Amino acid sequence: MKLICRYLLKIYLKYLTKLVLFIHKPLIIVVAGSVNKYFVKEEIKRALLAEGRLVRSSPKNFNTEIGLPLSVLYLPSGYNSYRRWHTIIFKALKTIWQKNFPDILVLELGASDPGDMNYLLTIIKPQMAVITDLTQRYLESFSDMNELIEEYQNLILSLPSSGVLVVNQDNNRLKDIARNAKCKVVRFGFDEDSDCRIISVEKQNKGQMIVLSYGRQEKKIVINTFGQHHVYAAAVGTIIKDYA
Amino acid sequence: MFERTKNLKLSTIKDIELRASRLPDAISLAQGIPSFDTPACIKRRVEKALKRGVVAKYSLTPGLPELRELIEISLAKENMFYDWQKEIIVTAGSIEAMSSALLALTNPGDEVIVPEPTYTSYLEIIKLAGCQPIFVPLDESLNWQLDPDKLEEKITDKTKVIFFCDPNNPTGTIFSKEQLQKIGSIIEKYNLYAIADEVYKDFVYDSRQLFSLAEIPELRNRVVRVFSFSKAYAMTGWRVGYAHSDESIIQEMLKVHDSLVTCAPVISQYAAMGALEMGDSEVKIFKEQFLKRRELVCKKLDDLNSYFTYIKPDSSYFVFPRLKFAFPNKNKNDGHEKSLSWRFVLDLLKEKQVALVPGAAFGPSGEGHVRINFGRNEKDIIESFARIDKYLQDL
Repeated sequence: MKLICRYLLKIYLKYLTKLVLFIHKPLIIVVAGSVNKYFVKEEIKRALLAEGRLVRSSPKNFNTEIGLPLSVLYLPSGYNSYRRWHTIIFKALKTIWQKNFPDILVLELGASDPGDMNYLLTIIKPQMAVITDLTQRYLESFSDMNELIEEYQNLILSLPSSGVLVVNQDNNRLKDIARNAKCKVVRFGFDEDSDCRIISVEKQNKGQMIVLSYGRQEKKIVINTFGQHHVYAAAVGTIIKDYA
Repeated sequence: MFERTKNLKLSTIKDIELRASRLPDAISLAQGIPSFDTPACIKRRVEKALKRGVVAKYSLTPGLPELRELIEISLAKENMFYDWQKEIIVTAGSIEAMSSALLALTNPGDEVIVPEPTYTSYLEIIKLAGCQPIFVPLDESLNWQLDPDKLEEKITDKTKVIFFCDPNNPTGTIFSKEQLQKIGSIIEKYNLYAIADEVYKDFVYDSRQLFSLAEIPELRNRVVRVFSFSKAYAMTGWRVGYAHSDESIIQEMLKVHDSLVTCAPVISQYAAMGALEMGDSEVKIFKEQFLKRRELVCKKLDDLNSYFTYIKPDSSYFVFPRLKFAFPNKNKNDGHEKSLSWRFVLDLLKEKQVALVPGAAFGPSGEGHVRINFGRNEKDIIESFARIDKYLQDL
């Protein structure tokens, strides 16, 4: 019974999401990768909001067959409560006529089982994709790293020729698969061949000072967070502003 | 033999629980266990992890990356910015986090300042680290508040750490932002460290916003903040918590953590992920229930006001009433003849099978009080107080 309900919910949310996207036609930026999706997504949203754009991003880390539609429809999850799902299913219908639907959606895509990415790509058609990094996290359902890489390969191949792929140049596997993209590729990282190169990072009391080389210019960014993942996120935020 | 452990004691709270466990009709309001079961959403997250076959192996020593990411996100919402890769460790409960912090920050012979009454197990882990606890009494007449000037007076050349609980167990006191900022200035002035145990932060019964020393960027390399999933999410049996601080401290703590436990139980780490992903609404429900139970316990204590006086706790799920009567020494030869709170607790347990914790266990200022846990269900609270009432009438 539970499985049937879940299947029906999945189908309902999928087609409703497709309808909402068809009506409102937002620019879709997706963030994928095995780590750092949340921070990159939030940084993209912050950067675009600062530019005065009407942007919305996935709440929490909703990035699965149920979570992705909820992100687009901007609804909470009912988790395991039938009562909460009733309300959400009803509210979902109202999103068709939603006013002030954002111009840009920044969505996370998760791949924890073979075929996940292809399914998610039947719901949305992203114009831009960011692949943050690839590690062995979530590898347990895949036969090996190559099978996991195929998921990201499918995402890259789904981008239109007018699209943009933003990819972590410090990850050798990503560097390799980015070569298959039909669209523009913008690389970020410490690697010397990065289009947006991280020249230096200085840890300070109140955060980090980052120096980026991008578009033949050096740019200093000060952030109030700590860790390399925020440095990568800042680089992606800088890139995205030029393309969104 | 046993040089390191001979002066350690089993925590009084656990000692009382052990005594109560031998009595058939015992009701325990002793150990800080909430009455609730772990929320279904958390169990479901664990079931999913079990089905995926990801719980059988060790995690990385500091914990599952996805959990530490969630912790970083949750901390940022509270104005605390820490790098999940280098500055957050998932531990086997908060006590392991505090033990690792103390062992990393101190050398044998150092002094650790502890505002008291405070959580009983602090004293044992301080002794285990070979350090000397130095007590600073909280002021009962001022709602058990802390006077930072009194704390400063206790500092010597040997002082290394200030170790405190906020909200405080057993008094339920919340330290103000000004008090904490003064402590912050003291640790900077004397080149000290602070360990802040904030496991009851989710149960504050007024509109006050809790402040943490870990929010002050200039103190990030001096403050270790500890949190546990046990209380907030009814997960005491899962033994999972975390600590965060600057990389310079956490990387040292990591060596101790690795020596002690290798990693926190992986199945519990998935439970912790469920808690952070889906547990917020459950915490609100628990808090509403605890608030009702606080009112119930306070009403019961009001009814017994010729025997007890108390300060209504602002937080946690403990009340710490003072005994207003001189209790006779009925249980000789148990080693606790001199302590009023011990005598009362042991006799109450023996006569009426109600377990409370003697205030003496929480430090010198705790003597003459008892700790009552109102995290237990209403039925147990009502029955316990009926027995206490009867017991007092029979005195």
